[in-house]
Amino acid sequence: MATRALLAVISATPNRCFISSSRIKIQSSVSSFSSLNFQRHNRKIHRIARSYSSDKDSSVLPPPDVSRLAETARISLTPAEIEECETKIRRVIDWFGQLQQVDVNSVEPAIRADMDGGNLREDSPETFENRDSIRASIPSFEEAYLKVPKILNKE
Amino acid sequence: MLSTLQPPRSLSLLPLRRFQCSKHIVSAASSSSTAPVTSPPQSQILTTRRSLLSGETTAVEIAKSYLSRIRLTEPQLKCFLHVSENVLKDAQEVDQRIAKGEELGPLAGVLIGVKDNICTEGMPSTAASRILEHYRPPFDATAIKKIKELGGIVVGKTNMDEFGMGSTTEASAFQVTANPWDLTRVPGGSSGGSAAAVAARQCMVSLGSDTGGSVRQPASFCGVVGLKPTYGRVSRFGLMAYASSLDVIGCFGSTVADAGMLLHAISGYDRFDSTSSKQDVPEFQSQFLSVDHFESKPLKGVKVGIIRETLEDGVDSGVRSATQEAASHLEALGCMLTEVSLPSFSLGLPAYYVIASSESSSNLSRYDGVRYGNQVMAEELNKLYECSRGEGFGEEVKMRILMGTYALSAGYYDAYYKRAQQVRTLIQKDFKAALEQNDILISPAAPSAAYKIGEKKDDPLAMYAGDIMTVNVNLAGLPAVVLPCGLVEGGPSGLPVGLQMIGAAFDEEKLLKVGHIFEQTLKGSSFIPPLLANVA
Repeated sequence: MATRALLAVISATPNRCFISSSRIKIQSSVSSFSSLNFQRHNRKIHRIARSYSSDKDSSVLPPPDVSRLAETARISLTPAEIEECETKIRRVIDWFGQLQQVDVNSVEPAIRADMDGGNLREDSPETFENRDSIRASIPSFEEAYLKVPKILNKE
Repeated sequence: MLSTLQPPRSLSLLPLRRFQCSKHIVSAASSSSTAPVTSPPQSQILTTRRSLLSGETTAVEIAKSYLSRIRLTEPQLKCFLHVSENVLKDAQEVDQRIAKGEELGPLAGVLIGVKDNICTEGMPSTAASRILEHYRPPFDATAIKKIKELGGIVVGKTNMDEFGMGSTTEASAFQVTANPWDLTRVPGGSSGGSAAAVAARQCMVSLGSDTGGSVRQPASFCGVVGLKPTYGRVSRFGLMAYASSLDVIGCFGSTVADAGMLLHAISGYDRFDSTSSKQDVPEFQSQFLSVDHFESKPLKGVKVGIIRETLEDGVDSGVRSATQEAASHLEALGCMLTEVSLPSFSLGLPAYYVIASSESSSNLSRYDGVRYGNQVMAEELNKLYECSRGEGFGEEVKMRILMGTYALSAGYYDAYYKRAQQVRTLIQKDFKAALEQNDILISPAAPSAAYKIGEKKDDPLAMYAGDIMTVNVNLAGLPAVVLPCGLVEGGPSGLPVGLQMIGAAFDEEKLLKVGHIFEQTLKGSSFIPPLLANVA
């Protein structure tokens, strides 16, 4: 029983587009995929294929700049990795775009799922006995200091 | 111990020391005269306890037989990243306690696998990542501490997708675990090693973590029980954080009773986790009655809602029929079944991935090569961070961090993270409404049975799509259990599929009751993978 990619894309309504994906062209691709068909109020979910293009009328938010993101996240990527990441990330971010179509007017964001919240304990320090084990994990340690290279000021 | 693999001859549960027993739990001596046609699975925790207390075997003998099975099956399965050197020593301690007549904890002699993102003092804990390749934590996670206090033995650390990001264990930096039902297929993920280890009887029960389905989906793929507690039920202290508002520690067992007893052992408020709940932890034990004592319609009056959106196009027909048969079985047990709709259902997947990526980009910033883990030395500090992380993290982890960084960037926060949190509110409301009308909700655990290794590796969206059944439950923080309900075609003897049951917050008791009765009365498969037929 072959598994199939399941992707749902909600077609955009022209207004209330934060990120514009107001017209999404669906290309049929070589392999066929079935989709989960959902109906929510008056919106239809279109069957999509593995690759699709998005027609952005007015892009309020520019697409991800992977090099810049990698710098922000302090992760070094080779040029080949950047290229591969870029394609994949763009597809996923485009897919995130469907959340823009949801009417969230006056809906409070749910910060988390927990029901209680706020079980804070007293801020009083306690000695942790196994300091040797902590020290053993430190890659560069010179008594009392974690050794790191210099920091260069960037322009 | 072979007896734990065979279908049991007697079905009853023994009264235990330290537990409050319902008067319906009887001793083996007075079990019913007629054995049922297919024997339901028996709790390994209780079987172990009975054998130890009766002197039938020792903890060391049990441990030796499991270690031997691990040695035989690991080359094919690769469930473990590390097997403890102290298993026999821990087992000896249990035997010494028995010899002295000392009281035994409820998990005495029970062999437990632990997912490698849960800190175990002195034992490697890598989250299946190169960046933590040789890391040995200086402390035990609270869940581990509790297990040890109750006499449990940690057998080893199980394989997983790196930092919990994945659904197959293919994203592990070290090895890919094979599904015991078909070695060419994935065990599911990210807790694939823990699920497969229980399925292959390399350990009796195991711990996993569930952020978007990482306990429930592998449970379905491997034909074992996977239990995800309510968010806050179990302390997350010592669980390496992936998405802090979604992560929970979950339990695997070969029976609902085992998963439930393990959950009870690790549950409870912990001052080291401010999101852990002060809600009372009920004695789940009382739900695990012997099948001899079930009434004719033991689930009479229980209202069950089938989630309509989970049975539409895109779900494999075999999974759909297995779910529908499971629903009929529940009806036969007395449940009242209705169809429920969760209109926000489809939004769960993108909302989940926005939230999870965003939170993970923050949580994984601690892995900088300075205080622990692998360090790549450089001339300048930022370069040290970049190179340590660039070389230490795998592809999927890097991708999710970058996506999360994007979603949280100034100017983008409202469009993505905040919006996803608002969608989360809608999802929570839908569940709340459905659970006001029903005791539990049911759905498949995944749209298909286990697929082939490599099938979805290069297509992130195809991989993510498989989480559709499970992510909403994490967004709502609700408890859920997955238990095997049938087999579909594939592999040498068919592939298991699991039924997911979702409960109201902190209502694990009801889930376990329904799950246990469902399992004990299910006719047909015994859900023991064919691999075990060849292993002594």
